[in-house]
Amino acid sequence: MQKQIVIVGLNHRTAPIDVRESVAFENSYVAEALTRLHGYPSILEGVILSTCNRVEVIGAAAEESSALSEIASFLAAQKAQRHAAALDEHIYTYRGADAVRHLFRVAASLDSMVVGEPQILGQLKQYYDAAQRAGTVGAVLHRLFHRSFSVAKRVRSETGIGSGAVSVSSVAVDLAKRIFDRFDDKTVMLIGAGKMGDLMARHLQSVGIQTLMVTNRTFERALTVAEKIQGNPIRFEDFVRYLAMCDLVIGCAGVPEVLIDAATVEKVLRERKHKTMLFLDIGDRRNFDPLINDLDNVYLYNIDDLKSVADENLQERASEAEKAEEIVREEAQSFVRWLASLEQVPTITALRQRFEEIRQREIEKSLGGNLKDLSAEQRVAVQEMTTAMVNKMLHGPISQLRKNSVNEDEDGTLYVAALRKLFNLEKP
Amino acid sequence: MTLPMDALLIELTAAVYLIAAGSLFLYLFRGNVASRLPAALLLAGFAVHSVALSRLFVSQGFAAVALMGDALLFNSWLMVGIYLLIHLKYRLTVLGGIIAPLAFLMTFAAVAVNHGATEVPPGFQTFWLPLHVTLAFLGNAVFALAFGVSLIYLLQERHLKHKKLTLVMKRFPPLESLDRLNYKLLMWGFPLMTLGILTGSLWAGIHWGDYWSWDPRQISSAIVWLLYGTLLHGRITAGLRGKKAALLTMVGFCVVLGYFLWGDAIFPSRHGGRFE
Repeated sequence: MQKQIVIVGLNHRTAPIDVRESVAFENSYVAEALTRLHGYPSILEGVILSTCNRVEVIGAAAEESSALSEIASFLAAQKAQRHAAALDEHIYTYRGADAVRHLFRVAASLDSMVVGEPQILGQLKQYYDAAQRAGTVGAVLHRLFHRSFSVAKRVRSETGIGSGAVSVSSVAVDLAKRIFDRFDDKTVMLIGAGKMGDLMARHLQSVGIQTLMVTNRTFERALTVAEKIQGNPIRFEDFVRYLAMCDLVIGCAGVPEVLIDAATVEKVLRERKHKTMLFLDIGDRRNFDPLINDLDNVYLYNIDDLKSVADENLQERASEAEKAEEIVREEAQSFVRWLASLEQVPTITALRQRFEEIRQREIEKSLGGNLKDLSAEQRVAVQEMTTAMVNKMLHGPISQLRKNSVNEDEDGTLYVAALRKLFNLEKP
Repeated sequence: MTLPMDALLIELTAAVYLIAAGSLFLYLFRGNVASRLPAALLLAGFAVHSVALSRLFVSQGFAAVALMGDALLFNSWLMVGIYLLIHLKYRLTVLGGIIAPLAFLMTFAAVAVNHGATEVPPGFQTFWLPLHVTLAFLGNAVFALAFGVSLIYLLQERHLKHKKLTLVMKRFPPLESLDRLNYKLLMWGFPLMTLGILTGSLWAGIHWGDYWSWDPRQISSAIVWLLYGTLLHGRITAGLRGKKAALLTMVGFCVVLGYFLWGDAIFPSRHGGRFE
């Protein structure tokens, strides 16, 4: 008996968000769902993965096609609790080598909406742990998931898939990190109350910015935003006076008007002894004079600059993804080879061979050494005795393996896996 | 330097520094694989370098640093040593990539340019000469590092101004750290250089009879001293920092290095390496 790996699921490409949501598993409910999944006759091992971009059931089964239809009806039952529309058109299925490759691609973030985003690996680990706690993981999925974690690590370290910021805010943070080496002593001024500015301010807070000033033409608006992001509201008429204190200035006023020109910045710079400043003009309309970028120790990036860096990084990721696919292919192949080796018969042969080798070696050593004076008959007797010993020792394990294979007991693979490891039969 | 064994050791040192310089490319483009390689190679080179230098001092005495080739050997040893110390604190692998080729050139040249006198005349072997040489060379070494830091600063600055946020440049330290380190190096280098000039002048007074003889070396040192002095003053009082400070630091070091390597050939001087 050899277990087959099957995957049934839907993701951001095959299903719209409302369909994905309708089958998503809430955290509190996963353990119960796992038990229910395990109850299906063909499913010997199972893990559920449920994130905002995908819902997948990964199973190890004795028989592929019945397992696939069982998982499909398991998912449909999940959906039935809320809606009744057909799931079939959104669902994909993978089996055998394809299933292995799919899981490795998911873990390595090759199947993600933003290729290379790192969260998926953590989510995968979390759902694997849940399945382990629920007792629905056996030797095969155990090995499969651990393999997928290390494939993800390998992809991350051998390719540039995870490097390079791909959103405007993260590009801005990356940029700030190339200019400043610490943020706890820096001050940010946010001009205008556009949504993007708000988001950027939060992003900067997450890297350690502690002092934020907020200004807006309507002071009430500045007050609201300031309260939301724990900043200090500044009256619009006064903001220029505070600029000298600011290391980062974010413009997001949404009006086509130059709020800060180069001459002002020159004055501000003298006042702050030319300490470096970063201006981010991220509203729909330009608020900062482009000439600001020509001043020494000042950097001005507008929304298009940030976007084009993000796009470049995205392209870079796509080309790195090709290298990653190669790694995944290679790893999937080696996993499939391991899975095939779990068959009982070859394991029994290998085990016998291993013991026989040891016996032969030791006999040769003894008969050539301490026992070299033995007569021919005595030599035969020693041979017979050692052979009998090996056979007696192997009798228990081998008959147990045979029994498992007949009963299709799910522990069978576990024993085979353990034996291969204990007696170093992994690489024939 | 006359023993073949010593020449071999120095050539080995130069070779290791060259490999270290090459490993920087590996670091920049395959950082995960070779992140510690450049610094490790520099450390290995430094170890061989130390052996070569101590053999030299044992056989010829410390005053041998007044000879051109040995001077290069000693100066580059100080530079790599200080770099390794800085690296311990700041993890500036990229700087190692500038120091390594420089160290290679200096050690390589040490074998090649050992012309002129091969022994220090007995009259020169006083307490003042080694002191002067050590202080001046420490200053040189610190400014060599400041040169490297400035070069990295300018590269990073240029990329940021042109809005190129490449992954390779991510391995370069942030501008703020580079500028701060540059300032610290200037704070160390300037007093060392000042003391180097003072002790040199004292020595000249004792041996040549005049403290200041408008020797080309003295003039060039004075120019560099004024330049670094202005830079330090500007940094402290006027907020002279960033790109301009980096450029000035580089200019200063180029004068030092240029004079060190070719000055004697263009403007004959009775200083350094030749004792005609």
